[in-house]
Amino acid sequence: MANVVFVINDENATVVDRAFKMVENVIHGDHGSVALVFLIGVIFGGIIQYTRVDKFEKIAGFAMLKDTIVPKMLFMTVGLTSIGLYFMIDAGMAHYHVKPIILQGLVIGGILFGVSMAILGKCPGTGPVSIAEGRIDVLIGAIGGLLGGLVFTLYYDNFFKWLMGDSLGKTILPNLFEGHEDLTTLIFGIALVIISIAIPKIELEDKEETKNQG
Amino acid sequence: MTNRLPWWVGGILMSGLLLLTFSIYGADRPIGASTYVPYAASLIFNLDPSTYSYINHIKAPGSWEGVMLLGVLFGGFITSVFITKTFRIMILPTAWKMYKNSSILSRVFWSFISGFFMIIGARLAGGCTSGHFMSGMSQMAISAMIFGAVVMLSLILTGKYFYSKEKVA
Repeated sequence: MANVVFVINDENATVVDRAFKMVENVIHGDHGSVALVFLIGVIFGGIIQYTRVDKFEKIAGFAMLKDTIVPKMLFMTVGLTSIGLYFMIDAGMAHYHVKPIILQGLVIGGILFGVSMAILGKCPGTGPVSIAEGRIDVLIGAIGGLLGGLVFTLYYDNFFKWLMGDSLGKTILPNLFEGHEDLTTLIFGIALVIISIAIPKIELEDKEETKNQG
Repeated sequence: MTNRLPWWVGGILMSGLLLLTFSIYGADRPIGASTYVPYAASLIFNLDPSTYSYINHIKAPGSWEGVMLLGVLFGGFITSVFITKTFRIMILPTAWKMYKNSSILSRVFWSFISGFFMIIGARLAGGCTSGHFMSGMSQMAISAMIFGAVVMLSLILTGKYFYSKEKVA
């Protein structure tokens, strides 16, 4: 890493100027006002904090199969949303934003992501919540993540794009059962809700936190 | 007893938030939480988008998620201070002490390494728990199901071999 020189964008812009540019991009985009996007974040962070699913004991605990709150909540969320979203899209109230099947990227990325999630005990959505509640180890993880993001950006054209491979399209499950799209969606959604209830509830308690709260 | 919402209430609320975000009355897009990281890196290190093409791919979603992230930090902070009262400056998670070790150096080292590879992994796959697992699976996307299956498997295998079976402390 001794001789890496970044090609810099604008020498005079400070990091604060560039952060304002980020807000400007949202103002000029068509995905909600800055206030709405911020509010979505506040609610997202609030739900995660209030359910405590950002805790190391919940995520690393699930990896150790000593806690099942995270998969229960995830499957419940996805089961309900899949049915609601399908009929909202049908009614013209929402659109599909399906990610492509880049098989190599999904498999290699998924392996790296799963290993890291078990060790850090966070993911990119829950990590910021833990930082906001004072967890220094996660802040260190975020610095590692920023460097990961930097390396990915620097070597995307020369290496990572090749590693990800080609897209096999943006198939969704109902495409595979043509003529039975509504039924496929209902079965998928209801099955996930049933799974979320059926997964036995086991918990890895954080005795220190319970004790501190009295 | 810990002050918190039951998992199913959390699931219902999160589902409502996803539907609001997807709807044309909301943001007309999915929730994602990993694109902001390389975008933030490009802002901090002032990288030139004409040299690094990836920045152009992620500029719009990265900005959106960046603003959302500020909300997440704010929402997480307020909730931890006023509602759950769990705000605490801490380095070692309790379960790390129970099933790994009591070394701050070890925790910091592994946090940094796993943070690094987590973002590389998420960007290779094109999403994370939010973008793929929650938003992608809710659209019944095959890409999200492949990602979800691979992550579950590698998560549980890592959990089995990285941590001790019995309590170490």
